[in-house]
Amino acid sequence: MTRPDDDLIAVLTTALRTADPVPARVLHAARGAYTWRTIDAELAELVFDSASELTGVRSEDQARQVTFQAPGIEIEVMVVDGSTRRIVGQLVPAQESTIELTGADRAVATTSDDLGRFTFDEVLPGPVRISVVGDGNTPTVHTDWVLL
Amino acid sequence: MEAHELLSRVVAGDERAWNELVGRFAGLVWSVARSFRLSSAATDDVVQTVWLRLAEHCGRIREPDRLASWLATTTRNESLRVIRGNVRLTPQDAFDETSDLTASSIEDRVTDDDTLRAVLKAFAQLSADDQALLRLLCAVPPLDYETIAETLGRPIGSIGPTRARCLERLRRLLPSGYDPKEGLR
Repeated sequence: MTRPDDDLIAVLTTALRTADPVPARVLHAARGAYTWRTIDAELAELVFDSASELTGVRSEDQARQVTFQAPGIEIEVMVVDGSTRRIVGQLVPAQESTIELTGADRAVATTSDDLGRFTFDEVLPGPVRISVVGDGNTPTVHTDWVLL
Repeated sequence: MEAHELLSRVVAGDERAWNELVGRFAGLVWSVARSFRLSSAATDDVVQTVWLRLAEHCGRIREPDRLASWLATTTRNESLRVIRGNVRLTPQDAFDETSDLTASSIEDRVTDDDTLRAVLKAFAQLSADDQALLRLLCAVPPLDYETIAETLGRPIGSIGPTRARCLERLRRLLPSGYDPKEGLR
């Protein structure tokens, strides 16, 4: 590592920050992210995503599969490509619950059936999370935010 | 205040600490996301996903002193998801003039500083790989080589030598008489 190299990095750093700064809209949204924080809910962490698997065939023709896990519950989600891009989900173990899909500016709700299956007709755009709403005895479980 | 102190205030519910954290690390997250050359809409959504993820995970980060690395890794993972996952992005105004983020357009968007213009023009002529490495090397606060290597999917031992060669290529694209200290003469 030489001084001229460090000097050039310093100039380029200034140049990139001047030409390509973090847009105000991005900063504004980032500050607002804190208001989505949940305190008394369980977090189901993203444990599998077929889109981040490096192995195997590029799965353009296959539905994307994503799995979230919290203590005692797993939420499996399949995004079915096509004109509408539906979400087909499965709770493990199966349970009937209110399920919410939350995006930046709206949320939609449905109910899982007695086999734990649920469907949303379309993916909301941008970062979303899925919530299994608690019933008083069990806490609400939110998944990690994810782009689907 | 150290990052881990800021983070523990955030966990305790201090929104001002969150805003300070965003102010301090927003440039870093942006640099990493931009190194993947996503569309403007995809870049915005990746970055916002990272901040939402942090807001939810801030109490679970195992090494709070390595928050920069956590943010970089999360940004990388979300960027790859977007590249491979055919995700549904937040629609953007088609006439948003910042939408065109291709490297070749960058130097047109600034600046009347001749030195910066020259450096940006040279940067825009570099290969995608070189640009990605330089963006990570220019992140503020700086990323360690381990994180840069992980982000690029390259061995850590290659980063130092690649950095030197990459800067040499950048230097060759600069006008003669350029001196990073003095600017253009």
